[in-house]
Amino acid sequence: MFDFGIITNWIHTQLTAVMSEGAAVFLECVIIGICLLLLYVVIAIIMIYMERKVCAAFQCRLGPVRVGPWGSIQVICDVFKMLTKEIITIRHSDKFLYNLAPYIVILASVMAFACIPISRGLEILDFNVGVLFFMAASSIGIVGILLAGWSSNSKYSLIGAMRSGAQMISYELSVGLSILTIVVLTDTMQFSEIVMRQADGWFIFKGHIPAVIAFVIYLIAGNAEVNRGPFDLPEAESELTAGYHTEYSGMHFGLFYVAEFVNLFIISGIAATIFLGGWMPLHIPGLDGFNAVMDAIPGFIWFFAKAFFIVWLLMWIKWTFPRLRIDQILTLEWKYLVPIGLLNLLLMVIVVVFKLHF
Amino acid sequence: MSNYIKGLFHGLGSLLTGMKVTFKEYFTPKITEQYPENRAVLKMNERFCGELVMPHDGDGNNKCIACGLCQMACPNGSIRITSEMVTDPETGKSRKHLVKYEYDLGSCMFCHLCVNSCPHHAIEFSTNFEHAVFTRSKLVKTLNKQ
Amino acid sequence: MENRVDIKERMNAIEPSAVWSEAGDGMFKVPVSAFRGLAERLRNKEGFDFLRSLTGMDWGEEGLGCVYHLENTSTGENIVLSTADTDRENASLPSVHDLWKGANINEREAYDFFGIKFIGHPDLRRFFLRDDWKGYPLRKDYDPSLNPLNMENEGNEDEAPSYEMTPDGSYILKRHPLFEDQEYVINIGPQHPATHGVLRFRVSLEGETIKKLDVHSGYIHRGIEKLCETLNYPQTLGFTDRLDYLGAMQNRHALCACIEKAMGLEVSERILYIRTIMDELQRIDSHLLFIACLCQDMGALTVFFFGFRDREKILDILEQTTGGRLIQTYNTIGGVQADIHPEFVRKVKDFIKYMRPKLNEYNEIFTGNVIAQQRLKGTGVLSREDAISFGATGGTGRASGWACDVRKRHPYAMYGKVDFKEITYTEGDCFARYMVRLKEIEQSLNIIEQLIDNIPEGEYQMKVKPVIKLPEGSWYTAVEGSRGEFGVFIESHGDKSPYRMKFRSTGLPLVSCIDTISRNAKIADLIAIGGTLDYVVPDIDR
Repeated sequence: MFDFGIITNWIHTQLTAVMSEGAAVFLECVIIGICLLLLYVVIAIIMIYMERKVCAAFQCRLGPVRVGPWGSIQVICDVFKMLTKEIITIRHSDKFLYNLAPYIVILASVMAFACIPISRGLEILDFNVGVLFFMAASSIGIVGILLAGWSSNSKYSLIGAMRSGAQMISYELSVGLSILTIVVLTDTMQFSEIVMRQADGWFIFKGHIPAVIAFVIYLIAGNAEVNRGPFDLPEAESELTAGYHTEYSGMHFGLFYVAEFVNLFIISGIAATIFLGGWMPLHIPGLDGFNAVMDAIPGFIWFFAKAFFIVWLLMWIKWTFPRLRIDQILTLEWKYLVPIGLLNLLLMVIVVVFKLHF
Repeated sequence: MSNYIKGLFHGLGSLLTGMKVTFKEYFTPKITEQYPENRAVLKMNERFCGELVMPHDGDGNNKCIACGLCQMACPNGSIRITSEMVTDPETGKSRKHLVKYEYDLGSCMFCHLCVNSCPHHAIEFSTNFEHAVFTRSKLVKTLNKQ
Repeated sequence: MENRVDIKERMNAIEPSAVWSEAGDGMFKVPVSAFRGLAERLRNKEGFDFLRSLTGMDWGEEGLGCVYHLENTSTGENIVLSTADTDRENASLPSVHDLWKGANINEREAYDFFGIKFIGHPDLRRFFLRDDWKGYPLRKDYDPSLNPLNMENEGNEDEAPSYEMTPDGSYILKRHPLFEDQEYVINIGPQHPATHGVLRFRVSLEGETIKKLDVHSGYIHRGIEKLCETLNYPQTLGFTDRLDYLGAMQNRHALCACIEKAMGLEVSERILYIRTIMDELQRIDSHLLFIACLCQDMGALTVFFFGFRDREKILDILEQTTGGRLIQTYNTIGGVQADIHPEFVRKVKDFIKYMRPKLNEYNEIFTGNVIAQQRLKGTGVLSREDAISFGATGGTGRASGWACDVRKRHPYAMYGKVDFKEITYTEGDCFARYMVRLKEIEQSLNIIEQLIDNIPEGEYQMKVKPVIKLPEGSWYTAVEGSRGEFGVFIESHGDKSPYRMKFRSTGLPLVSCIDTISRNAKIADLIAIGGTLDYVVPDIDR
């Protein structure tokens, strides 16, 4: 398995050879930041394209086909269209918060995005409480959404924002509980460590029953966390036109839109990391030949394949189910997911204590 | 408690059934018709009402006798007929002759009354459906060849 | 009409001042002073609990008045009443909104168009026209130059006027505020994805819970009833397709049947067969669109496309025969526009074969879905009494346990001879409304299957005089439209154009009951309620 740490170390030594340590680190941070944002945008574009194609296939349609081969340039054109659109200012809106809100959302999203280990040695933020940091960073997004709804001076937006506040804060709990289940199993909160522990089998296999339950809960709660169908009531287009971003136009709307899609990717990426082994290839203990073949596939391909598989899974869910109502969303969380999650955590503790896992 | 668990599994089951349907549809042939590309093979039903036309024979003659029945039958005033009296040089009888048959596609509601009222089947609906123009005045068409 | 004699005798006993007039279907002319008492008696003692239609009229010298079509839902008896006030300046009639809830909006419509003040009506605002409209357009002496094209924005009328009569014969105008200052009122519509057209609700919310709802309509009112008065009978047909565009066939069927009844024209059996099959195809088309749109409103977008995919098959069949997809222009007075296409029978059979398994797909993806069930069950409950009182016919009424199918109540065309089940549920909630329509698709398929092989030979268009004149009188004919009873009321004074033509909208009663059933529901429920009531706005606005 190729370690990207070799490349990053080599760059670091080259840079320190020509400049001071501090300047080198600063330069590296800038480069990494740029790469991160570029990757962010690329992922967003791929996600939007994928969404349009996948949802079309579920609906017996073709999706975009006109621009570029199989419509592949369509999303890029849409991005340019979005960039050229006027950003409308709303009368009687809280101008400062109104303009700030999309950036808070995107900031939270980028920070969470930086936590994902893409391949061996390709982690941006990786420290011993990475899981905690990820949870904290991704929750900042709620503030942005609430602010967007509040500052728009629109009743629709406000209802959407309130819905999303209630929903996201609730579902944070289930996301946390299911991640915690895995943390119990691994006894580490560092993402790279979590991946390394899955070298001899992914956690969804190693942790068997409680891990599978945690995985399902995580998918449901994660889906709700990013406001996607069937949990898309904050922006329920048939009820609230567009929810909290009703009044946004141009790139401000674009930022919300992009953040939503990348958040979906982040949720899938984290699911792939903690349940499906991240960039770790599929290893079956005892089959060395098979394992060697699997090792030949680079880690980032493993990671993206797993992440996009989960994205596809979530899209499948989104394009099948009707939307829930606000009270049902809270019922589902507080009467089903949280109790089951807690029990599941207990089960995992028992499994770990009695060494019932593989 | 048993209701709770039963409900949970029943709910999950119903969700999975739904997902089975969409999964099947994921692989069925798609129904999208790609319109401008499929123009060559696109065949409209022969009775489709696109617009009113006045068929002409090989010599450029139509069957209209300018009787004005269609104009009277039209509820919207979409048809305007200009006619003149012509005296037939052989028989010496004077009869109406069509000068201009104007038809406003923009206000036509395809009620068929004009076609039904025509005693000589001089007008009919064609299947042409590509009507988009930039100004409304272009929707006013002259149907007879002059 | 055996029970007519019986009713005449009974009416004589109840209210001797009511005069029977024979022309057309016949009606009782009741003096204004006796009307309210008679209405109460008919509603409470005689069991006439369903106000089929309320038509405002301008009889010129005889004054302004209304025609009431009443039905007793337990015995199926019908009675037509009319009453008029000769004072054109200050015409007033007693309101019957408390006897039949459906009269509420119908009286507002009559006030809007004829300026009849309904004494005791709690909310006598204009319904379709702008509040600053001058005059009453459906009066015969209306001057259209009073209302040039108005480019000003319309203000919000926040007060509901009502009129009370003092013993000395003058009126007291009272105003009641619609919403309090502190209420959180949001506009749903006119541009809103879930109102299915340009309808506007003003909704007072408490959190997400609906406290009060006020319907605003008329954004696409075209004055079709007024237009019809200037056109001859064949020309009026074109408008029916544009009322409820998902029931084009049935609407036109109703108008043609009404004119044929007035002319005394019997159409051939072939025409009846074709009309019946077309009506049922149209019903399937409409119900598929209903399912599709309901699912879309509830966020299940995929089902929306499945619905449209299947509906396309029907549209193709219809287009092949009629030449139109949405606007069919098919039925004509005394027949149909064109004979069925040679491939029609085969294609319809293929479609039936295709559609049956597809229904199961809808069941699997949506009906059984736990989310859909949770959202639809128990929300927006309309009781049977309310359904009758509002006159909410069609799938909505049947979901509330009211067997209101015109095809069974007053069989027309081939419906008396085919075997089909009238689907009724008793819950009256959104889920029942959805199920009724889903099951009705199956019944419609059954009806078509029974007819399609036996279409008899014959003419498809009877011989009709080029200029059609109806004798003097008034007629009412109803068919079962895609979403309820669609009725046509014609009053003729012997000319080639109608003196008054009124379409009983299928959607208006549905919209009028929305306030009642959506109180204390959530916004999301309002969307589900609107979706399952299945109104079509051009049909409300006319």
